[in-house]
Amino acid sequence: MTGRRDSAPAEIAFRDVVKVYPARERPAVDKLSFEVPPGEICVLIGPSGCGKTTALKMVNRLIPISDGDITIDGASVRQLELSELRRGIGYVFQQIGLFPHLTIESNIGAVPRLLGWPKSRIRERAAELLELVGLDPKSDLKRYPTEFSGGQQQRIGVARAMAADPPIMLMDEPFGAIDPIARERLQNDFLRLHSQVRKTIIFVNHDIDEAIKMGDRIAIMREGRLVQIATADDLLAAPADDFVASFVGADRGLKRLRVRTLEEIELGPPPPDGRASGPTVSLDTSLHYALSIMLAEGTTRLEVTDGDERVVGTVAMDTITQLIAPAAATNPA
Amino acid sequence: MTPAPLVLAAGGGPVIPNFGGASKCITQNGQFCASWFFDNFGSRFLPRLVEHLQLTAIAVGVGAAIAFTAAIIAYKQDWFETPFSLFSAFLYTIPSLAFFELMVPITGINRLSAEIALVSYTLLILFRNTLTGLRGVPEATIEAARAMGLTPRQRLLRIELPLALPAIMAGLRIATVTTISLTTVAAYIGAGGLGQPIFDAIQTGFKTEFIAAGGLAIALAIVVDVALVLVQRLITPWSRRQVRV
Repeated sequence: MTGRRDSAPAEIAFRDVVKVYPARERPAVDKLSFEVPPGEICVLIGPSGCGKTTALKMVNRLIPISDGDITIDGASVRQLELSELRRGIGYVFQQIGLFPHLTIESNIGAVPRLLGWPKSRIRERAAELLELVGLDPKSDLKRYPTEFSGGQQQRIGVARAMAADPPIMLMDEPFGAIDPIARERLQNDFLRLHSQVRKTIIFVNHDIDEAIKMGDRIAIMREGRLVQIATADDLLAAPADDFVASFVGADRGLKRLRVRTLEEIELGPPPPDGRASGPTVSLDTSLHYALSIMLAEGTTRLEVTDGDERVVGTVAMDTITQLIAPAAATNPA
Repeated sequence: MTPAPLVLAAGGGPVIPNFGGASKCITQNGQFCASWFFDNFGSRFLPRLVEHLQLTAIAVGVGAAIAFTAAIIAYKQDWFETPFSLFSAFLYTIPSLAFFELMVPITGINRLSAEIALVSYTLLILFRNTLTGLRGVPEATIEAARAMGLTPRQRLLRIELPLALPAIMAGLRIATVTTISLTTVAAYIGAGGLGQPIFDAIQTGFKTEFIAAGGLAIALAIVVDVALVLVQRLITPWSRRQVRV
């Protein structure tokens, strides 16, 4: 068992999921159906009160399901024994909720301990995870949560959620209470982590920019219902209705430039000798960044290089601005 | 050996047991005759001190067991809080001397009567503090524990009770110090303890005995309180850590 590698991510499926609260007229979640394929990050987003957190918490049954079902790799969460279900799902939330009376090692080791792992293995795992989230196992394992900043505490929160290597993680505005600089770092580190250790993740937030950055797909909710589920690119290019259009913002054309790279557009011909004669950017640069470089350099053309610094084409400002226009034209704002 | 002779102090003062050699301090019934105190500590005071500690430990131990159980029930079932609060508050209002006297017809002149009264006085503070401690556990901590699949019992034992420890220990300190003080009164119904030499000294007017026994009760309270503080530091190492910014 000790040699076991990360478990395979699981598929999560919502099937006509309903949550009704007794005193309220309208269901908090109303016939919600969508799937999250294994290994994907699905961001649930919408205005406050849209039911996104309720939907998330029904997966590990922190909130009971009124009707419909949620399945994990085909198995209904309603059938599973509660403790067993929850131990297989990592949970990260805005308030973090580290156990203040336990050391970082014990915090991370909480679920493994419930699962009966031997002490030595728990210690190894805690050290490994702490390193993975960018903290120092040597100095930090024996410390207590209050000795860390909010951003560091949430890194520990992420490590704790991943401790028993669950195939699924639920994240409820995990970086919401972190200051902007630390948040950006956390987002980047988390994406890097996710590329190494693939989990199926449902990620709730209300910040469209974070959703675009984090989500393989974005599910927009309103009044308990799913309005649209799509990749960030599709969502920005073709919002399903006015609500989605206004939610993603009038500048969605510009935002879309962030999710597309130079690799995805047709480039102008490279100079015959393949040598750069002006400012260059690499192929994997986002269109947004390429445009920023043009504005900063006061030019309307950039030469595009591949991994070997060879110029493979050129990009003109017009090409990029035209990509903004069609999307913006459908939005009266 | 003949029974301890009585020495009639000069000026028609109180009757003081001599127990052998009477120093000038003793014959004059001085405020505090240190040499007499040290000579008699082992035979007259130490057994009473031990008794006192036992009486207190039993009272606080039994009181804690009852109060913790009640607090946990009230934590899980809200309706239980008010009746138990009222009950323990009512017990707390009974004057101690009257309480001891009240128990005599029921359980007799003995330690049991004393312990019942002493236990009753610990309930209010231990119950309130334990319940406050449990309710003070951060909501987020409980949510994290639930989401990890801890059962309600595991949550209580591993998360909620440990986090309530600072409040529980604070209650335990107050209850213990109060009980040490109250236990002196319990000698009135023959429970023993340091109250015994105090009552004796009130009868005889022997100042050294009075001050020695009273002083020992105070010293015991302070020592036990300090010990409890040390225990608390030991079992809640996390509560003193400072936020690192």
